[in-house]
Amino acid sequence: MNTLVDTQIATQPRQAATMQGETSAQGSDTPSLSIVLEDRKSARANPAKATAEKLNFWYGTNQALKNINLVIPEHQVTALIGPSGCGKSTFLRCFNRMHDLQADTKYEGAITLRPDNVNLVGPETDPIEVRMRIGMVFQKPNPFPKSVFENVAYGLRLRGIRNKTELAERVEKALRGAAIWDEVKDRLNDSALALSGGQMQRVCISRALATEPEILLFDEPTSALDPIATAKIEELITELRQRVTVLIVTHNMQQAARVSDFTAFMYLGELVEVDATSKIFTNPAKKATEDYITGRYG
Amino acid sequence: MEADEQVTASAGSTAPLAPPDPAASHVGSDPLEGHTSKAVDHSLTDLRTHAVEMGGLVIDQVGSAVKALLDRDLRLAELVLSREPLVNDYESRLDRDTLLFIALQQPVASDLRATRAIARVALELERVGDESKKIARFAAQAGAATEHDPVVAVARYLRHMASLSTTMLRNAVRALDEASPELAREVLARDKEVDAEFSTALRQLMSFVMQDHQFLRATIDTVFALKGLERIGDHAKNIAEQVLYMVEGERPRKAKKRG
Repeated sequence: MNTLVDTQIATQPRQAATMQGETSAQGSDTPSLSIVLEDRKSARANPAKATAEKLNFWYGTNQALKNINLVIPEHQVTALIGPSGCGKSTFLRCFNRMHDLQADTKYEGAITLRPDNVNLVGPETDPIEVRMRIGMVFQKPNPFPKSVFENVAYGLRLRGIRNKTELAERVEKALRGAAIWDEVKDRLNDSALALSGGQMQRVCISRALATEPEILLFDEPTSALDPIATAKIEELITELRQRVTVLIVTHNMQQAARVSDFTAFMYLGELVEVDATSKIFTNPAKKATEDYITGRYG
Repeated sequence: MEADEQVTASAGSTAPLAPPDPAASHVGSDPLEGHTSKAVDHSLTDLRTHAVEMGGLVIDQVGSAVKALLDRDLRLAELVLSREPLVNDYESRLDRDTLLFIALQQPVASDLRATRAIARVALELERVGDESKKIARFAAQAGAATEHDPVVAVARYLRHMASLSTTMLRNAVRALDEASPELAREVLARDKEVDAEFSTALRQLMSFVMQDHQFLRATIDTVFALKGLERIGDHAKNIAEQVLYMVEGERPRKAKKRG
């Protein structure tokens, strides 16, 4: 079970997806539905963007993650599911070193980020560097008490971008990327806190996207949103995988089923099973997974 | 193939689910139960119970229709015809209830496979009901047996095929009830027997009709009756395949194409 999604180098990753022609700035295409489904059916793993190897993590003496081995395929969505306290959020937070903010925590093992093979949890690695490359979106929308524009420009300014035209361009691109540009383009100078929950969440996604991260982490991104806002975020996640690698923690199993290519089930700090989402939700290999997703757990 | 054959729903069967996993088995003997939500348990077991009941009725329809034909029993034929709407009612009810269950409970994994299997079993059983209806209609119109009667000429085969196909059906429905892959496999293995009987019976009828083509109409009807029984074997096989997929999560490999 620890061999997991093997790093089989896909020979033609999403090559078929050139039917709709419309090419975005990154040169990625919008795949048609049948291709998405086809892709998900065959669930060929793209090359790894990140690989967790023998990852252990402790809060004090409490071991929250036990020997996690998991491949995160590039430009695909990997969902982490499992009951509360199973370690899925803890695992997610390792990717951008959120635990460093808390005293008395300890990492062991590695999360290797490709292509340069940086160990994200290595003591030699600067967490600030890590967070530049790996964005995060939280459960509750948490915009800064600033204007929409300043929220998105924040990370860019931190990086020393001062040129007004460049800032404006990149903010617009990020807002478009999070499918909220049309809703806020006339109120860029309004406070982000005046927006609706779903809009705030998409501004937060824009903020994360602005610095062009390689991996985007979502921790329960829609649990505070209504179904329509949820659908918009889910649609966005599906689109985002063209540009970034997505790792999402969700309590909503149907959401995992809808948005992810791969699903990993965690229980009591261990990774129980990971497979193509289509496989997990029709015929999981482990009984524990089956019991959890069919509501027989506990 | 006796008319009174009934499937006895052996509720709470002890058939284990697929390869037993000794590590975690808080789920009781019934693979459809054990949900935190009792409503889900009830919905799923109700669906299965209705499908099994429907199976019992349909098996009886097949047996009765063939008996009516062989014995020239007009009243039995009419009984079969009068019960056909009941079979259809079961099917539409199961169709509605499985759809509702999917919409309201969003089953996944084994629950989803079971729901779909039940919906498709209902469809297969409904078709078996149709075949029985056709045989019963033929029986109702056939009139008294004559000296040269195609039905009499192949009575042996009709009887044997009815026996084979109802046995297959019974095992297929039991396989669903008990979530038993062994029973399902047994059904798959027997389909060839029905096919072989059908071919032999056809040859028999051909030599019959060559000797005496006065009974062409009745011969054609007899061919349809035989074909109906052969189809019933196929439906039983389809049910068994659904059960295998439900229990094991793997699609049984398709047997080679029939000629």
